[in-house]
Amino acid sequence: MKSREQEYKEIFVAEALEYFDALNRLISDLEKRPQDDQVLAEIFRMLHNLKANAKAIGYLQISDVSHKLETAFSLIRNKELSFSDEVVTVLFEGVDLLGELIHNIDNESYGEPDPVLLRNLDIIVDNLSDSTIELAKVQRYNTSKNLSLSELVYIQIKKLDHLLNLVGELVIDRDRIVSISRELDNSELKSVSSHLNRITEDLQYSIMDARLVSIGSLFNKFPRIVRDIANAEKKEVDMVMEGYDIQIDRNILQIITDSLLHLVRNAITHGIEKPEIRAKKNKPRNGNLSLIARNDRENVLIQLTDDGKGIDLVQVRRAIAERQMLPESAVANLPDSEALSYLFEPGFSLAKQVTEFSGRGVGLDVVKNAVDSIGGRIRIDSEKGKGTTFTLQLPTSIAVKGALLFEVDEIFYAIPLLHTEQVVAIEIDELHEIGGVLVADIFGETTTVVYLNELLNVKEQEMRLGDKSRLKGLVQNIIIVSYNNRKLGIIVDKLYRQQDIVVKPLSKPLDAVDLYGGVTLLGSGKVCLVLDVPAITRYFISRRQVMAGELNI
Amino acid sequence: MKRILIVDDSFYMRTMLKNMLTDAGYEIVGEAPNGQTAMELAKETKPDLITLDVILPDNTGLDVLKGIKAEQPDMKVIIVSAVGQEVIVNEAMEHGALSYIVKPFSEEKVLEVVSQVLKEE
Repeated sequence: MKSREQEYKEIFVAEALEYFDALNRLISDLEKRPQDDQVLAEIFRMLHNLKANAKAIGYLQISDVSHKLETAFSLIRNKELSFSDEVVTVLFEGVDLLGELIHNIDNESYGEPDPVLLRNLDIIVDNLSDSTIELAKVQRYNTSKNLSLSELVYIQIKKLDHLLNLVGELVIDRDRIVSISRELDNSELKSVSSHLNRITEDLQYSIMDARLVSIGSLFNKFPRIVRDIANAEKKEVDMVMEGYDIQIDRNILQIITDSLLHLVRNAITHGIEKPEIRAKKNKPRNGNLSLIARNDRENVLIQLTDDGKGIDLVQVRRAIAERQMLPESAVANLPDSEALSYLFEPGFSLAKQVTEFSGRGVGLDVVKNAVDSIGGRIRIDSEKGKGTTFTLQLPTSIAVKGALLFEVDEIFYAIPLLHTEQVVAIEIDELHEIGGVLVADIFGETTTVVYLNELLNVKEQEMRLGDKSRLKGLVQNIIIVSYNNRKLGIIVDKLYRQQDIVVKPLSKPLDAVDLYGGVTLLGSGKVCLVLDVPAITRYFISRRQVMAGELNI
Repeated sequence: MKRILIVDDSFYMRTMLKNMLTDAGYEIVGEAPNGQTAMELAKETKPDLITLDVILPDNTGLDVLKGIKAEQPDMKVIIVSAVGQEVIVNEAMEHGALSYIVKPFSEEKVLEVVSQVLKEE
């Protein structure tokens, strides 16, 4: 866990090294203009800060040496000590010692500072002008000294964004060169391209790594917020958090910050019951909230669980029917997980009362949009009376995605792996037309299936989503995708391979087509469209509804 | 929620103070690393309280205190100083600072002084 102590230490060291560098510059200035009050004031201020900070964090040697130097400089300022060669030398050495101490904060094998130097500092500080014997031992210039700069740099996030874009371009060119070198079969080109391949990959991961922050930086804000909301709602809430250390891209964390806050508010205002009610239900008076982050293969999972009243599925089904989102017969047969997914539809709120903290119009649909926008997934699990869990599955990094490549009607497509559940091949006889769409029994689960060519390339008036005769061949390759607790099988013409892709935004006029999340270039130089699974799923559902409507007429 | 402006030229000190105060439920409306920014932020954010370091890069904390008091006589100011600056602290108290904290400070001490000063209405 990157604790607050660790954070303090990093800040301390970064700032201390800045002071150290500035002090070196300033005492050189002072050597040239020994009575410059401004320079003296600056030196004084820095030593003073260094002393106070070191004392606060517990680096007593640093605070002690800073204190001695500070005293020496105040004597110079008060003209009680002259800035003679010998004094200058000791002060330089003293500042060097500070640098050494700062650099060796983590070095357990670092011994004690040079006693002669400490003694010399004491001589100056105590103004023992007669005791100059040991000063003579001090060497005037230490030419073997190493120059050193701060180990930490601050960098603007937009510079990292730019680097990430550049590396994205590079990866695409790299793939192209690797592919050309294979075609040309030139051994020299092959060896260069394989080296380029490795270097690019390394560079890409280094840049992705530089953008990672720990989730703790967000989690640390929650205890306070939870306390405030709980107080306002007159509820008692105990919160447990785990996974402070889990690393995630800084921009992804930024995007989901509001969403997570919203879910936490919801959990307290709508989930956890008031203490009296909990007591009546034989639950502990204090509600429990847990926020847990963990790694899940390439992704980060964030789970928010409350032990509150849970979501009433009867009420959800009634609301779906009332809002005419599905015919009533269909609502009854809806699996629980799918019914819950309707909570993410715009305007679908079960809250009866608007409180200060939630129910003010920002619903779960906003949360869902935020998670969709970074290619993540969200699901709800809930049991009435027991509580609710929200699970966010987020990519660790934004630039590069694992994707499955395939072909439909001689065009290349990719689907991000985050949305793919499995790939199956079934015979055309196993596909059945029900209610104007195709369904198949896939591993014991009745799954709706759509031929992607029909959905993408056929005019809306001529679209026949349930027409098997439009399929080519006997065996159909189906990619099962999942979005918002709903599964959909997508029939493709040819399946290729799994590959890391760099998604580029679409340029005009294609950017108006919202079924694609972007485009990528394959090593062969061919363009490959990246499917936006949420958009495709929504489009499919809307087409199915239109057709069902037409059938009824 | 009481709103506090932190004035200190050390990022480390500001971070510590900010964490201690936000953990205790105060809102930090701004952080100023120098006197100029401090006076601008005091005017702009009108905090309930200012914690003021006495040694700043552009002017002394005392000048900043006088500047702020000249424009907002009722502004509550706590001096943050180190050992050995008693003279400045005394002078600051004469110029209207309400209390002081000595570096290195403990969380308890900071919260005690801050809550006490904010309570005196």
